[in-house]
Amino acid sequence: MKLLAILHDQYRALAAGKIFWVVLVLSGLVVAAFGAVGINKTGLTVLWWEFDAIFNTSLLTPATFYKLVFVNVGIKFWLAWIASILALISTASIIPEFISSGAIELTLSKPISRVKLYFTKFLAGLLFVTLQVGVFTTAAFLVIGVRGGTWEPGLFWAVPYTVLFFSYLFSMCALLGLLTRSSLAALLLTFLFWFVLFGVNATEQSLHYFKTGYALQVEKVESWVEAAEQKVQGPGQSEEAIERSKKELATKQTQLERYRAKAGGMGRWHGYFHGVKSVMPKSSETIELLQRTLVSEADLEPLAASGNDGQGGFFSRGEVPVSEREIQKRLAASIASRSFGWIVGTSLVFEAVVLGIGALVFRRRDF
Amino acid sequence: MVIDLDEVSKVYRGRVHALRGISMKVHKGEVFGLLGPNGAGKSTLVKVLTTVVRPTSCRGTMLGQPVGTKWVLGRVGYLPEHHKFPEYLTGAQVLDYYGALSGVRRRERRRRAEGLLRQVGISAWQKKKVKGYSKGMRQRLGIAQALMNDPDLVMLDEPTDGVDPVGRRDIRNMMVELREQGRTVFINSHLLSELEMICDRVAIIVKGVVAMQGTIQDLTDYGRRYEIEVELPQEGAGGTKGLQTLLRASGVRALGAGSTNDAMIGVETLAAPVLGLPVGANAVRGQLATGEAVVVSGSTIRIGTDDPAPIQPVIDAVRRAGLSIRAVKQMRPSLEDLFMRAVVDPETGQEFTPGAEVGRAKGKPGAQPTMGGRP
Repeated sequence: MKLLAILHDQYRALAAGKIFWVVLVLSGLVVAAFGAVGINKTGLTVLWWEFDAIFNTSLLTPATFYKLVFVNVGIKFWLAWIASILALISTASIIPEFISSGAIELTLSKPISRVKLYFTKFLAGLLFVTLQVGVFTTAAFLVIGVRGGTWEPGLFWAVPYTVLFFSYLFSMCALLGLLTRSSLAALLLTFLFWFVLFGVNATEQSLHYFKTGYALQVEKVESWVEAAEQKVQGPGQSEEAIERSKKELATKQTQLERYRAKAGGMGRWHGYFHGVKSVMPKSSETIELLQRTLVSEADLEPLAASGNDGQGGFFSRGEVPVSEREIQKRLAASIASRSFGWIVGTSLVFEAVVLGIGALVFRRRDF
Repeated sequence: MVIDLDEVSKVYRGRVHALRGISMKVHKGEVFGLLGPNGAGKSTLVKVLTTVVRPTSCRGTMLGQPVGTKWVLGRVGYLPEHHKFPEYLTGAQVLDYYGALSGVRRRERRRRAEGLLRQVGISAWQKKKVKGYSKGMRQRLGIAQALMNDPDLVMLDEPTDGVDPVGRRDIRNMMVELREQGRTVFINSHLLSELEMICDRVAIIVKGVVAMQGTIQDLTDYGRRYEIEVELPQEGAGGTKGLQTLLRASGVRALGAGSTNDAMIGVETLAAPVLGLPVGANAVRGQLATGEAVVVSGSTIRIGTDDPAPIQPVIDAVRRAGLSIRAVKQMRPSLEDLFMRAVVDPETGQEFTPGAEVGRAKGKPGAQPTMGGRP
């Protein structure tokens, strides 16, 4: 009853703020825009206008198209970026206001444990995003059903994934609000934390890309070395040909050593950042899980096949060229092999530690 | 015993001694006043009792249970000083919310909220948002909030702060009503005259220790006195000197000297009280032959006794000298007099500096013996 009262009060607090309704209206506009876009045999449609585009129903089914738009625009861009920033602005004051002089005395003097109070206030902070993403997803579900002709209940996975993503940030925001007692300081430091997460993730992804590229180059050179070895050992060759093959083998072996060293160095750096990332919340990958849940590889196969010829990219030129498509395929497989436990489990461990520190500070503090 | 504290202390960051061994008793069904200068530790003590501040050490009970247990908090109603209610809630919603936090069931909350809003006189505003409330209305709402859980002990921190005279009277009446209902009311206030009107017992805290504690009757007994106002033929020092000579002739001795030499009633600049008598600058003090303290200040003779017998020789001496007596009054100190006496350092005669003791814990400079009947 007490905890429900706090959640109910938080709902009233959010509903009393303009930003809640502004975000809700903007979410409505995003869904409306989403409903206005369609796909047909020739390309994209916006309301009654048609545009030729590389996307058409021969590459993507309307259902897959809408799911991709939902994940990439609705969730990744709108909810996980813009709406999350607005949600943080709206909720950063929850803990500082809760512990402000004159308010905290009223609550702490009631028969509720401090730890429960802190966790309930944290949950109350997630209410904003839960309500927003809930309304947004329901509206998107209806749009996809009507426009795409497929009723996809899997869309509602957006609610837990987005709330989970926001909870990583809000756990830190709550702790910072508790420590600084200032909404603005908590907000700015949370943005800094988010930027650090983004930076670590971007660096790890870049290093992963280079590690994969170098690994493919090593594999390619290894195949060359193998071919050169076979040539050297091949029967019925003249002394001169054997000598030439041996020289070529030596060159390839030197090249292999060089590429192995490059790949090893890159692997080490990637290992460091992967290690750092392992103990931090994986905000981007948590949202990526939604795409993994909603859109299968098979759905995207025609689209992937119609893409570039693999000639672009960092590794497509030089002495050991590697196809960009090959790298992306290997990279995608590697990322897909990251388990749910690693992505969400380790993030939740981080969140639990941050919440635990917050609860401990809150429990021991004098107000 | 509703509150029975023994050696409650609170040290902030290892060096600010906000409370230095508070021992205090509050009896069931009384209105208890907690007084003290700014920074004396009153609010810290109230916050310790309501678990807002964690004590460094705390022995004692509230409502028969250890201080700060959930059961105790459920039986306590608390109005903090400078409380802040959520501005987006209406008066009725505030009561409902804090009632729910206290564990009151929904139906009961609705019933109590209606009654309490009527009781504190803001039922017409119950559906209006708190942001539109005046300071006085917020205070009334705060009191209603403190009563939502039907508490046995009501702790009010500056309950009449910002309230107009009519509102203050209403709140005083409410305190009396609560006492009549058998509840215990614990008030922390600076308005001494108001506390004097309704408190059964008070404690004065100075520098984190209880300097005085007891019933107002017992505490003020200590400073009872007679005051004789005399019509002097000439005003100023000359007139006062004449009065001194007169008193000397009637057998008043110098305080502490015990002799009869002529220099006995010398003019001294005193700030410290003499046996409970207020002494201003340039006052003259002495002692009757029967031992009662005398202070002569301007045209007023103050005699530290509530027995009329010892003052008769003084009246006779004044009359013999042909002086007119304007008034003979039996006085007892006000709560303010007691308060002022408690906040003065007996060693230096200066008021204690405001704020908590910083640094290592020293003795208890503010401590004076508990006075009066029940501790």
